[in-house]
Amino acid sequence: MANEARTISKRDVAGWLAALMRRAEVIAPVAAHGGDVAFAAISSPEQVVFDFQNSLHPPKQFVLPQTDPLVVIRRNGNGIELEPVRDAHPRVIFNLRSCDARSLAFLYRMHASDLPDGAYLARAENVTLVSLACTVPCELGFCTCCDAGPFLKEGTDVQLTDLGEHLLAEPGTDKGLAMLSEAGDLFRPARPDEERRRLELEEAAKRAFGAETCHFASAMRRVSTGRVPEELWGTMSDWCLECGGCNFVCPTCYCFSVKDMKQDGSWVRCRTWDSCQYQAFTLEASGHNPRERRADRIKRRFFHKVSAQYYLRDGTVGCVGCGRCVRVCLGTTDMPAVVEAIRKGAWNG
Amino acid sequence: MAPSENHPVSRGRLCARGWNAHEAPAWGDRLTRPLVRRGGRLEPTSWENALELARASLTTLIEAGKDVGVLGSARATNEENYLAVRLARGALRTGSVDSFLRATYQPLVDGIVAVANGRAPAGTLADVEASDFILVLEGDLANTHPQAAHAVIKAVKAGARLVTVGCARTQLARLAALHLPALPGERGFLVAGLVAAAVAEPEPAGSPERPLPGFEALRGSVAALPVSEQLRQVARWLAQATRAGILVGPDGGPPERLVREGTAIATLAAVTGHLGRPGSALLPLPARGNLRGACEMGVMPHLLPGTIPLTEATAGARLARVWGRAPASALGLTAAGMPGRVAGLVVHAEDVPAVAPTGQDVLEALGQTECLVVLDAFLTPTARAAHVVLPVASFAEGEGTITSLEGRVQRVRPAARPPGEARHGWRALSELSAALGLPFPYRSANDVLREIGEVVPAYAAVADGTRDEAWGTFTSPPSDDREPTLRPLAADRVVAALPAVLALEGVFDWGSDPLVSLSPTLCRDHVSRRKLYPQGLVQMSRRDADGLGVRHGWSVRLASAHGEVALPIVLCNELEPGVLLVPYAFRERVAGVLGGRSEVPVTAEKVQ
Repeated sequence: MANEARTISKRDVAGWLAALMRRAEVIAPVAAHGGDVAFAAISSPEQVVFDFQNSLHPPKQFVLPQTDPLVVIRRNGNGIELEPVRDAHPRVIFNLRSCDARSLAFLYRMHASDLPDGAYLARAENVTLVSLACTVPCELGFCTCCDAGPFLKEGTDVQLTDLGEHLLAEPGTDKGLAMLSEAGDLFRPARPDEERRRLELEEAAKRAFGAETCHFASAMRRVSTGRVPEELWGTMSDWCLECGGCNFVCPTCYCFSVKDMKQDGSWVRCRTWDSCQYQAFTLEASGHNPRERRADRIKRRFFHKVSAQYYLRDGTVGCVGCGRCVRVCLGTTDMPAVVEAIRKGAWNG
Repeated sequence: MAPSENHPVSRGRLCARGWNAHEAPAWGDRLTRPLVRRGGRLEPTSWENALELARASLTTLIEAGKDVGVLGSARATNEENYLAVRLARGALRTGSVDSFLRATYQPLVDGIVAVANGRAPAGTLADVEASDFILVLEGDLANTHPQAAHAVIKAVKAGARLVTVGCARTQLARLAALHLPALPGERGFLVAGLVAAAVAEPEPAGSPERPLPGFEALRGSVAALPVSEQLRQVARWLAQATRAGILVGPDGGPPERLVREGTAIATLAAVTGHLGRPGSALLPLPARGNLRGACEMGVMPHLLPGTIPLTEATAGARLARVWGRAPASALGLTAAGMPGRVAGLVVHAEDVPAVAPTGQDVLEALGQTECLVVLDAFLTPTARAAHVVLPVASFAEGEGTITSLEGRVQRVRPAARPPGEARHGWRALSELSAALGLPFPYRSANDVLREIGEVVPAYAAVADGTRDEAWGTFTSPPSDDREPTLRPLAADRVVAALPAVLALEGVFDWGSDPLVSLSPTLCRDHVSRRKLYPQGLVQMSRRDADGLGVRHGWSVRLASAHGEVALPIVLCNELEPGVLLVPYAFRERVAGVLGGRSEVPVTAEKVQ
């Protein structure tokens, strides 16, 4: 759909957003308390931020909330009545970065395969993604290593590129195409020089990452063939403070627990975010814990992220290179550091 | 739950308790209506009735000449703790006001202040992160103080030299250039040894240019202490460091010993030139969030708000002016002394069995209280034992300020409305005071903070500073720039008789704290441990276990001069041989063996 590219004047973006807000909840990066940028439902188009390094918290929470009600459980006479909770509210996630759009495609595939997850899919299928390509790489990102940016070829409904006075909008799906068509006169077909400019920006952005890559292939070979020394996991685990932050800000992490919340005579079964780095995450009812040592939990996390087994299943590593784990790690065991240690067979702290 | 990357301390990084902090207010057993005990059961009532019942009961007790007391909390805001003191010393006219965890922190601060002339605690975690030498007196900071451990880890990664002191090779000890083993209760003794090593150096680099007052007397007092090559090495590293960070984990020993330990630590910093040096930090770590704030607000039986002596006339007069009534200036009972001793007790935001040294056993003593008034957000075991329960906002709905271990006073903003009829803690405490005859002029938590600024000198500039969008403001640094005052050190070995020492691990059981026990994610570790070891456990090194011929899970009988107990063992390779540690959560199990001490010599034998 590359030939369907259109442009919108920045003066008209507020009008476009206002039109989107009439039909859907629009979630976008906004300026938050204390100078942060955070994704939130907007109440006016002026709130939307265009010039930002990616937010610490990914927009994952709008398809996979931290506390996600799944089923209401009620007593009914002598029986039990179950009522599924479905949230099919139309939403637009606007100005999300390329890596985050890729991560939502990853999460969708995960929840749609094998045993489809109705609660997740209801939310995700009613979300339209309008991503903003990254013309300037963020400080800690390594999306080029994960095929997740700085520009996208797939995985987003509409991709925006900042051309200065205008935004170039490329539909990536039929849903995106329809969204642009509905906006009518606000958009016009992109001129060839505008499309050329977009390609130049993409090349410049990629060059700005330099030749640096994070060596996933080498790490994958070692993890998948059991060539990471056991002691290395032990050494690394002394540099992890078991906060779970890497899981909570990771746009591709989806591990959860299930808990029942009591509410006025009924119970709501909720899915809640959990961390595979917490000791009790794999605790079994018998009291046995297959991953009692932190070293085993770190090993498990990175096996899931970069092993060939999961690559074959998911078609990608479990990382989009957003760099959030580097920003949030209370220790020093973030993705690039651990991948480097696996590749070198040694940990440098 | 979303931390901010612009917060100067966390910079977007939280510990597990932080990441899951939203759970307890949402999932916990919340109090939504005032409750009063009728016929042995707690029944809902109106605020008016509950306050009237509390007033009538407490007044009757006071008129009968019986003791009453107030417990504040490191879980409560500065405003609430200040109002708890006002309730005690103003409305109830008693000096019995305290919080349980104070005893693990304030004596260390008192010891440091005695040397540092008011310059303590000093520095920030950012200073620690930028240090080139760090001395950590543990505990196990990776578990108890992850943000402090983070600063240490970052510094070590950047090349800083780390030395740890403690009875276990903890996570931080494994990252250290050198670990100095110290038996439980002997941290202070080891630090005195470091002082002896430092003052024995001819002219250590970094030491003050001319001898500090009291130097010769100090040198004489430590001259007889044995100084190993390791101690000499560490003293040299510290003296040569450009910026040194000293972190002091909480300690559960007797207060006099903690004061001596604090004195030794500040002395070490002084003789190596780091006391008061910009960039160097000396930070005692509070066991729980707002412990420093609670102490500075005067939740202590022996000091007035602002850590001012009870006998200081100006401070007393200032309080009399703002309260419209002179404060009770009597030395009151400590927290540990109150249950079973006072007839009337008001407990604010504290679950007593979770923090009392006697653990669950304290519930029996609380049961003897004639009038127990509990203000809390949660239906804790303490609230279940109360005669009057007043529901207050949790931290998620509250307003006020808290003071960090660095002395940063930060505003708490409500993220939700208090549930049901719950009221803000500052208002509930004010109304209780008013019912008891001391009316209040506050319309908001900020009004209370403004009054705090009038009576606590260090908070004079805080009221305005926290109102803006910045991340809090520091309490005023003391203008005092006098030199440290060195004193002779009394270096006491605690445990003479071996082969084994039994002690408690830690000073606080997070698993019993409502913010953890009511969080489905955070409570799991603690619940599963209690399920696996319903009778408690004792941790032991493999060498000791081999010596006794016991394996993981087998039982040993521990006997001291005070009593004996049989406990299953958990192997802990981090422990020094000869050290037996019982988690603080199981302290009731070994109360008879410890006999009221924090550590005792024991013999251990296999249970046949």
